[in-house]
Amino acid sequence: MHELGMARSIAGIIGEHAQGRPVKAVRVAIGPLACIERQALAFCWDIVTDKTGLAGASLGFIEAEGDTFTVREFEFRED
Amino acid sequence: MCGVCGCADTANEVTMTDLASGKTSLLRKGMAHLNDHVDAHDHPHNHDHSHPHSHSDGHSHTHPHDHAHGHDHHHRHPHSHDDGHSHTHPHDHLHPHAHGNDHHHAHGSDQRVVALEAAILGKNDAIAARNRGWFEGRGVLALNFVSSPGSGKTALLEATIRALKDKVSINVIEGDQMTSNDAIRIREAGAPAIQINTGAGCHLEADMVAEAVKSLDPKPGSILMIENVGNLVCPAMFDLGEAMKVAVISTTEGEDKPLKYPHMFRAVQIVIINKMDLAKHVDFDESACRANIASVNPNAEIIGLSARTGQNLSDWTSRLEKMLSDFRL
Repeated sequence: MHELGMARSIAGIIGEHAQGRPVKAVRVAIGPLACIERQALAFCWDIVTDKTGLAGASLGFIEAEGDTFTVREFEFRED
Repeated sequence: MCGVCGCADTANEVTMTDLASGKTSLLRKGMAHLNDHVDAHDHPHNHDHSHPHSHSDGHSHTHPHDHAHGHDHHHRHPHSHDDGHSHTHPHDHLHPHAHGNDHHHAHGSDQRVVALEAAILGKNDAIAARNRGWFEGRGVLALNFVSSPGSGKTALLEATIRALKDKVSINVIEGDQMTSNDAIRIREAGAPAIQINTGAGCHLEADMVAEAVKSLDPKPGSILMIENVGNLVCPAMFDLGEAMKVAVISTTEGEDKPLKYPHMFRAVQIVIINKMDLAKHVDFDESACRANIASVNPNAEIIGLSARTGQNLSDWTSRLEKMLSDFRL
């Protein structure tokens, strides 16, 4: 279950960059060789962000090459 | 214990035991993310306060006034009106920064989509790169051994240490979820060993190796063997700073492990087929196994041996000695 650690790592990166502003969506780029199970990552994302500043932010996936595994971008929520 | 994710559960602690001194130190309290994602992982608390407040007409009221910045501060401000009327102000501020008087509002011309391209394993990769530089600068050949549990990694390391201990200095980092059993075996075979217990963790990470190396202090021209947690999935993703990964599979596991776990077999440069002494008893088809390895990783070197009987062990130890001399050039 390394996806739990990965979800924490993504939350950490977004937390650092969003600086408390509400986030609507996070998109990660995943290559076929990244060894990441998307469903497991999405499941862990919901657990990790629950009751935090990132609660409700969606996690989307973008097809990428090789072993790419990066946070491609995130989107602020407009209130 | 944190009720959100169990991050402070003692089962999640990562510890390091130096078998020479018997000293155990804590590498990670609970999980590393306690330090990593403070912002993203709020433990709820409230800052509610109200201010004394009066109006010329004698009545009083409070204003809900919410500031959202990670955690909630509900402020009630002193407030008066000359005409004596009363009302409430719903008043929400979104602060990109924690405190201060400048209020940046999250609307208008602000950029909504932020491009990052941040490597999710970036922290680990940065520490691994530092480890690799340290190993290269000092001339320490670091090898990361990966396999499923029970393939005979520790037996292979013991046999290697016994075969080479008069010629080469070898240090070992042992990774397991629990127990120091493997490090004790390595020490008995004649090499200094550090045991890392990853608790709930399924793999070693670069910072754990960095800490262990500080204690082991391997000599220039030596070999550092890192025995990863027995797992053919996660360790493939975590660079430790090693010169190469070596996979161990055993005849009792069947010929198709490389097809079932291609990520791992693609990440290694050498595959050792262990327990060749048992091959005939378990109907192991060596040529099929070699073909399977080649199909996922055509460049992998394959060495079949038995760590228990010593059969073909010298193929491996001479390869290791050559690797060390190439590395030191």
